[in-house]
Amino acid sequence: MTVLADPALAADARRERRFFLSLSLPALFIVGLAAILPILWIIRQSFLTTGGDYTVGNYEKVLSSGLTWAALVTTVELSFGTLAFCILLGTPLALALASVRPRVANLLMAFVMLPLWTSILVRTYGWLVLLRREGLINTALTGSGLTAEPLPLVYNFTGTLIGMVHYMLPLFLLPVYAAMRDIDANLVRASASMGATLAQTIRTVILPLSTGGIFSGSLIVFIYTIGFFITPAVLGGGKVNPLSIRIERTLSTFQDWGSASVLGILLLVLMALIGMMFLVARRLMARNKFGTAHA
Amino acid sequence: MSWLRISLAAIAVTAALPVCAQTVTITTAGGDYGNAVKTAMWGPAAKELGYDVREETQSDGLAALKMQVTSGAVSTDIIHLGSPEGAQAAAQSLLEPLDYKIIDPKSVPDGAKSDYCYPFDSYGTVMSWSTKTYGQNPPKTWAEFWDVAKFPGRRALRANAQDLIEIALLSDGVAPADVYPTLSTPEGLARAIKRLEAIKPNVSVWWTSGAQSAQLLKDGEADLVVTWNGRAQTVKADGGAVDYTFKGSVIGTDCLGVPKGAPNKEAAMKLIAAMTQPARVAKLTDFIAYGPVNPAGYEGGLIPKDRLKTLATAPENAGTSVFSNADWWVKNGEAAQKAFDEMMNR
Repeated sequence: MTVLADPALAADARRERRFFLSLSLPALFIVGLAAILPILWIIRQSFLTTGGDYTVGNYEKVLSSGLTWAALVTTVELSFGTLAFCILLGTPLALALASVRPRVANLLMAFVMLPLWTSILVRTYGWLVLLRREGLINTALTGSGLTAEPLPLVYNFTGTLIGMVHYMLPLFLLPVYAAMRDIDANLVRASASMGATLAQTIRTVILPLSTGGIFSGSLIVFIYTIGFFITPAVLGGGKVNPLSIRIERTLSTFQDWGSASVLGILLLVLMALIGMMFLVARRLMARNKFGTAHA
Repeated sequence: MSWLRISLAAIAVTAALPVCAQTVTITTAGGDYGNAVKTAMWGPAAKELGYDVREETQSDGLAALKMQVTSGAVSTDIIHLGSPEGAQAAAQSLLEPLDYKIIDPKSVPDGAKSDYCYPFDSYGTVMSWSTKTYGQNPPKTWAEFWDVAKFPGRRALRANAQDLIEIALLSDGVAPADVYPTLSTPEGLARAIKRLEAIKPNVSVWWTSGAQSAQLLKDGEADLVVTWNGRAQTVKADGGAVDYTFKGSVIGTDCLGVPKGAPNKEAAMKLIAAMTQPARVAKLTDFIAYGPVNPAGYEGGLIPKDRLKTLATAPENAGTSVFSNADWWVKNGEAAQKAFDEMMNR
C-alpha cells in the first residue's frame, strides 16, 4: 500500500494493468465474433417469419407445442441422470486417484484421459458394438444363460445415458481430482489421529473440502450435456429426443429457422437458469460452512 | 536469387491454373451413393467437358441449400436433392430455373418433369427382412408387416413421415391409386397416423439415415426394416441374411438443382446435361440399384437384363407401387410431419 502511494509507481501499475488488459483484446474479439454475434443473430432470427417480417409467432408456436416441453423434460432428465452417475462413479474414483502415489496416479490418470482423446463419434459407435442386440454384452449374457432374451441396452434412454456418462466422466473427474489432491495430507492424518474411522474422515474432512471441485465438475457436466446431440441421435434410436434433436428436426424437416432459433434461445435460458442455481447453491453451502465453523 | 524467381514462377502458375479450367462445385449425399454418382456420372462428364469439379458432401441437402442461399454465400453450383425437397426448395425460390435449352427436355417423362430440379434416378422405399428370422416365409404385404401376432419381430422405420404415411394407408387396405386422395382429407392423414401409432410399440429403432438402416439390417438389430431398395440391395449383395420386395413400394426420385445465385450457373447446366446422358445414368446402376428416370436409360441393353429386377422403376416391378407425390408433400408436408412428431411423442 505504502509503495503504491508513490505517484510514479502508481502510474506504472496503471500502465501495467492497461497493458495486461490489452493482451486480452484478441480473446475478447474472438469471443465477441464467435459467440456474441451469432447469439444476437439467433435472437433476431427468432423474431422473423420465413418471409423476413417481424413476428412473435415463432415463440407462440414453440412454447405452445407439447413437443417442446417433452424435449425439455428429456433434456433435463438426461443431464441430471448423467450428473448423478458421474457423482456416484467419479467421486470414489477421484478419491482413489488422490490417495495413491503420484506416479501411480499419473498412470491411472492417463487411462482415464485416453477416451477423451478419441473422437466422440468413434466412442458412440463403439458403444453400439457393445450394447446392440447381437453385441458383445448381449451375446455373453444369452450365451452364458444369464438371460433368455437379449436385453434392450441401446436405442433407448438407457443406452443414451451410458454413452453420455462415459463421455462426461473424465471431464467431471478432473476438477474433483484436482480439489482432492490439494487437500492438506496433515488434515487427513489429524483426523485419523483423533480416532476418526476412514468413513468419518471421508465424510467430515475430504468431501467438504472437495465440494468446490464437485461443483465445478457438475457445472461442466451440465454445460456439455444440455446440448448433447450425437449420443442421443445414435444411441437413442429415435426415441430419445432432447432439445438438440428437436432443433435439428425443426431445421432439417421443417426448415423453420425461426422456431429453431426460439428452441436455441430456450436452451440458452435453461443453461443460464441452471448456472444460476449452481451459483446460489454454492454460496449457500459456503455460508453454512462458515456458520458451523463459528458456532 | 534463383529460388525467388522459381517460387514466383510457381505462384504465377498456380494462380493461373483455375483460370484455364472451368470450376464447378457439386454437393452430393456422400457415402456409397455419392461415390456412385461421382464414378458413373459427373466424373466422366467433367472429363469430357474439361471441367474441374469439386465435391462437397451434405447429408441434409435442403438445409445446406437454404443456409447458402439465405446467407448470400452460395458456394455450390449443383446440388443433389430428393424430389420432394427439390419441390420445396423451388417453392421457397432457392433454385435457379433449369435451362431446358441446354438440358434435353425429352429426357424426362411428363409425370416426373420439374422446372427447377432435374430428376435423374429413382428408388423405392421397400419392405426388407432378415432371412434368418423369417426364412422362406416373410410378410408379403404391408398388412402382414403390421401383423405382429403372425410375424413377431423388431421393426425399424424411418423417423420421418415421408413415405411412411403412404405405406401406413397401404397396410390399411387403401389401393395405391387412392393413397394421395385419401391423405388429402384430414381423416385420411389421421388414419395413417393412427396406423403408425399401432405399430409403434414394435418399432425398436426409428432410423434417421439410410446408412443406419443398412447397418440395422446387417447387424440383425431389427427383423423388419422399411428402407430404400438401394440400401437393402447393397446389404444383400454383401452376403447379409436379408431380402426385400418391391411390392407396395413408394417410388421416389432424386434430382439435381442449381442454387439461386450459383457462381457458375451455365457450366452447372452443361454439367447436369452431360452427367445425365442415358449411358451414364444407366452406368449408375453398376454401383447402386437406383434406376434411371430417363426412359432411354433402359433401352439398348445399357442395363444388363438380370439387374432390371433390382430397380424400382423396371417394368416388371410396376403396378403395386405408389409414386411419391412431391407436390402433395410441398403442400401438406408440414402438417404431416407435425402429426407424425406428435404421434412419436405420445
